[in-house]
Amino acid sequence: MRIKARWIVAGTLGAILVAGVLAGSLGAAEKESLLVQGSTTVGPIADAFADAFMRKHSNVSVTVKKTGSGDGAKALIDGRCDVADLSRFMKQEEYTRAVEKGFLPVAHVVAMDGVSVIVHPSNPVKALTTGQIRAMYRGKIANWKEVGGTDQEIVLYSRDTSSGTYETIHKLVMDKKKMAPGVEYVASNPDMHKHVSTTKAAIGYVGLGFVDEKVRALRVDGVMPSSRTIVSGKYPIARPLFMWTRGFPKPGSLIYAFVTFHLSEEGQEIIEAKGFIPVTNY
Amino acid sequence: MNVRLRRIANRGFTGASVLSVVLLTAALLIILGPMLFKGTTAVFFHGTVEFRKVQLHEFSRGDPAALAKEIAATEKAREPIYRLLDEFRRGIDTGRLEGEARHVYRELGKQLKHRKGVGPEERIRIRRFFRGLRNTLIDAYECTDKDEARALLKEVLSHAQDERLAGTVGERLFRMARDYQELLETFDLGKREEYAAALDEVQQAVRNLFGPEAGKSKVGMPPEDRFGAHRMDMVRRYADDLLYAETWVEVEKGRPLVKKRIPREEQFAGTTLEPLFGLFRDNVDAMFRPRFTVYWQYFLDDAVPGHYFGGVGEEILGTLTVTALAIAFAFPLGVISAAYLVEVAGDNVVVRFIRMSINTLAGVPSIVFGLFGLVFFVMLIQALSGGAHKGECVLACALTVAVLVLPVIIRASEEAIRAVPNSYKEAALALGASRLRCFVTVQLPAALPGILTGVILSLSRAAGETAPFLFVGAAATTDPLWEYAAWDWPWQQVQMLSYGAYDVAMNDRIAGMVPHQQWGMVMTLIGLVLILNILAILVRSRVSRKLRGG
Amino acid sequence: MSQSPEDSDRRAAAASAGFDRPLLLTPREDLLGYVGSLTGRAGLFLIAASSVLAVFLIFVFIAREAFLFFIQGETPAEIAEFLWNRVCEVFGSTAWYPEQDPAEYGMLALIAGSFYVTFGSVLVAVPLGLLTAVCLSDIFPFTLRQVAKPVVELLAAIPSVAYGFFAVMLVKPWLQETFGIPSGANVLNASLILAVMAVPTIVSVSEDALTAVGRPLREASYALGATRAETMVRVVIPAAHNGIIAAVILGMMRAVGETMVVWMAAGNAKQIPHPWWDLTESVRTMTATIAQEGMDTARDSMHFHSLFTIGLILLVFTFVLNTLSEFLLGRMKFRGAKP
Repeated sequence: MRIKARWIVAGTLGAILVAGVLAGSLGAAEKESLLVQGSTTVGPIADAFADAFMRKHSNVSVTVKKTGSGDGAKALIDGRCDVADLSRFMKQEEYTRAVEKGFLPVAHVVAMDGVSVIVHPSNPVKALTTGQIRAMYRGKIANWKEVGGTDQEIVLYSRDTSSGTYETIHKLVMDKKKMAPGVEYVASNPDMHKHVSTTKAAIGYVGLGFVDEKVRALRVDGVMPSSRTIVSGKYPIARPLFMWTRGFPKPGSLIYAFVTFHLSEEGQEIIEAKGFIPVTNY
Repeated sequence: MNVRLRRIANRGFTGASVLSVVLLTAALLIILGPMLFKGTTAVFFHGTVEFRKVQLHEFSRGDPAALAKEIAATEKAREPIYRLLDEFRRGIDTGRLEGEARHVYRELGKQLKHRKGVGPEERIRIRRFFRGLRNTLIDAYECTDKDEARALLKEVLSHAQDERLAGTVGERLFRMARDYQELLETFDLGKREEYAAALDEVQQAVRNLFGPEAGKSKVGMPPEDRFGAHRMDMVRRYADDLLYAETWVEVEKGRPLVKKRIPREEQFAGTTLEPLFGLFRDNVDAMFRPRFTVYWQYFLDDAVPGHYFGGVGEEILGTLTVTALAIAFAFPLGVISAAYLVEVAGDNVVVRFIRMSINTLAGVPSIVFGLFGLVFFVMLIQALSGGAHKGECVLACALTVAVLVLPVIIRASEEAIRAVPNSYKEAALALGASRLRCFVTVQLPAALPGILTGVILSLSRAAGETAPFLFVGAAATTDPLWEYAAWDWPWQQVQMLSYGAYDVAMNDRIAGMVPHQQWGMVMTLIGLVLILNILAILVRSRVSRKLRGG
Repeated sequence: MSQSPEDSDRRAAAASAGFDRPLLLTPREDLLGYVGSLTGRAGLFLIAASSVLAVFLIFVFIAREAFLFFIQGETPAEIAEFLWNRVCEVFGSTAWYPEQDPAEYGMLALIAGSFYVTFGSVLVAVPLGLLTAVCLSDIFPFTLRQVAKPVVELLAAIPSVAYGFFAVMLVKPWLQETFGIPSGANVLNASLILAVMAVPTIVSVSEDALTAVGRPLREASYALGATRAETMVRVVIPAAHNGIIAAVILGMMRAVGETMVVWMAAGNAKQIPHPWWDLTESVRTMTATIAQEGMDTARDSMHFHSLFTIGLILLVFTFVLNTLSEFLLGRMKFRGAKP
């Protein structure tokens, strides 16, 4: 008699499972999907675009992965994603590999960004030159007092080497030289923000959209990063943010709508809300 | 040796041992306590009217009529704040005036497009002319010298009668210029810089608190801007930004700056904005209508990208799917292997080799499993689908973690089967059952509780793993599984509790604004794992009681 | 004489139970049965051998990717020279710049990072774990043991990402504020958390080892007048030394293989701390490198293969440790077996 009860229970569970499977299949519809992958700087913009898209069209599914500009480029070349977010231009090897695979990558500039050098708000240092920043990251300046700050050992934070933000700093500040081994590595912009805002002697760098009152952006070579100084070219560490596609997307396709969304008013407002600079600073 | 010394050494040793256990218990409490406690604030909290708005608009929950009444009441309470801000802003906020000017320019452009009798070249000329006017007006807004400003405004207004702009929205520009002219006479431009930055902060705080102004909410707004502060702890945080200004001042030269808090009433002393802060402080309840909320749907809801609001339902489903699929693969393999090792295997080199392999498998680091899953399962799926599927999916995750938990199941099953008293087996064989029948009908059911313990433990292990999934299919933001047909599930990428907890802690900027979401996800993960483990402990104690009792 | 109705009943019952067949099997049935049992055993063997297959596949696929990192060149001489240079670079240089041009693949800093974190955690976990095991096996009464064992098991059950969360959200600021360390993500932080994670393994295996020593040895020691401390320290623990060393090795394996905690809390600076005893410096472990860079690297690039090399080093290292601990546990069981 005990056996019977067990079988009844098992049978009910099985029936529920089957019902669930069938119900799930009934509720499904054909969806058009889009995979966007790449930079963690462009990530928030892509996230917001995806959200706006999925609200407007209910049969569209956009997945955003933020794994770094390098992986985004590779994914686009390998065919693993439809749109690649990059916070830097494609490297020559990436471009040639794409051509080898049979397509020409096309860049769409969605926003302008200035990489801000940030410190903890309690740090009395308010301005640095690119030369000083380079010396710090190469380990030649080790204490804040050497640049007019307090007597504290500098804690350096950097992004990992596949990050487009890192590439920008590498090219424009580090002069393509290597960083010192004692630099701590963080995985993304928000991570950098978190570390610098909680470490008094820290220095790091993030995209403009990640600067808030918990960190302080420094003047670099006398210029404060803001939308005006970046667009006019005065700020030395400015860069465009890209979305790359395989060839130019067909007008009317989902990819086309996604990579031209930044030109609409809604897209521009999203970009501004995220703290970046819309390209058509209307 | 001295007897007393030995006795002291003995006491010390015993004390040290007991201290270790106490330390471990303390460590357990210190580690679990804050995470579980802070995590419960994701479910139990004081929700404001904004929270109920979110529930209605995003999740279609709640009574629209009652909510509308509540919204009306809170709007009434908030209205004085907006009014005060508006009055003050008109003189200060050059940004807004600038924006308005640019908006007029754009509107003019649109209007001209639909105007009859205006050719394309004429249109461009009018627009260029108007752009010049707009830029002059903007310069007037920005300059801090009254005389210069007056001169610029006069220049703008000198074109007020231009007939090309008659009857268009362009006339608004001239109205704006005239308004500003009036304002200039009553305003002290010198202090404007000072107040501008502070006003920005106040406005941002008000936006964070109240959400967008009534009627000004736009469809494409990111989730964190669509609603105001939806919990009282968020209200308290943003209210702090509103009521106090924080600056970093230099106290001593050569020492770090020190945070100084100034009440905003001091900052805005003597201006029309000063009463706003007292007004806010006195009417917080009326403006937000907090109510104790039990958001149990947290475990069922999907979250918006960034997890600003919503729950962990999608992650729970992802974790459960992957682990269930993994066990479906590992369970038969594990139990049958264990059956072989106990019943059929002899004691030769081959069997020892098998045992060694099982032990090796148990020792492989989880990230190496991830690498293996990437290079084997993902590539396999990619190859089998002819390149159509990228390879990263639930199936790959499940297979990878199945290999990871296989040794656990084999070990637990082996122990369970061995623990069945030999008398059971001998009795069955004596009654004439074949080896297979004896195993399936006698030994396996008797060993089932022990095997079940192993399965539950491996479920909890698989649910808690993160490293194997990093490259094989975990995603930070993707469609919830319930939006796909059931047979499509294995081919999707999936959000999981473990990967989600990592992502929300390290990579997510918005989640930093809503720490209760971070803690909530970790709490859910720990809760799930703990429930499974306690279940396993209970099952195991029932087994040991049964086998001890005979 | 048999009575017909009961007889036929009995015969019917026997028939339905399959007992109406003659006791002697026909040759055909015999052969079929034999073949059936052989195939059954072979099937079971194959399924059991799936774990061997899994291990084999893991080694093969990881080694294959790592192979491409080490072997390049046309002639055997070229290959040997390239291989030698690579090995020297990997184990001799601390410069890990795989995306630089030209790329540098010095893994010494990463290996040192894993070593620092493991060693630090073992330093804390072994005394803690051993003393707890002593407590559980000898000191606590049954009821307290029933309370303490679940505590240890719960510690083992907490997911590593939760430990990492705890380390980065709570331990890091605590270290920075209470001790004034400039950066709370360092060896100390990671070691403490890894120690808590390794303790349950050490406790359970050590407890088994201590129990396996058996009562006679303990009673003999007490009979000679030793205190409990002296018995444990001078008699029981040395007798159980095989199992305890195995426990330490297993704890070490847990610490070496851990990814999430060290990724979130060890700082990820690719350096060897200088001075070498400064545990408040940040390090990067092998596992964190794979986790961080594995997500971003292109398949089939040299960087990708170098990550698999790190994986191979980890695999070989844990394999050696595992075999050693199995050997020691085998000896322990052999020693503890009653004659």
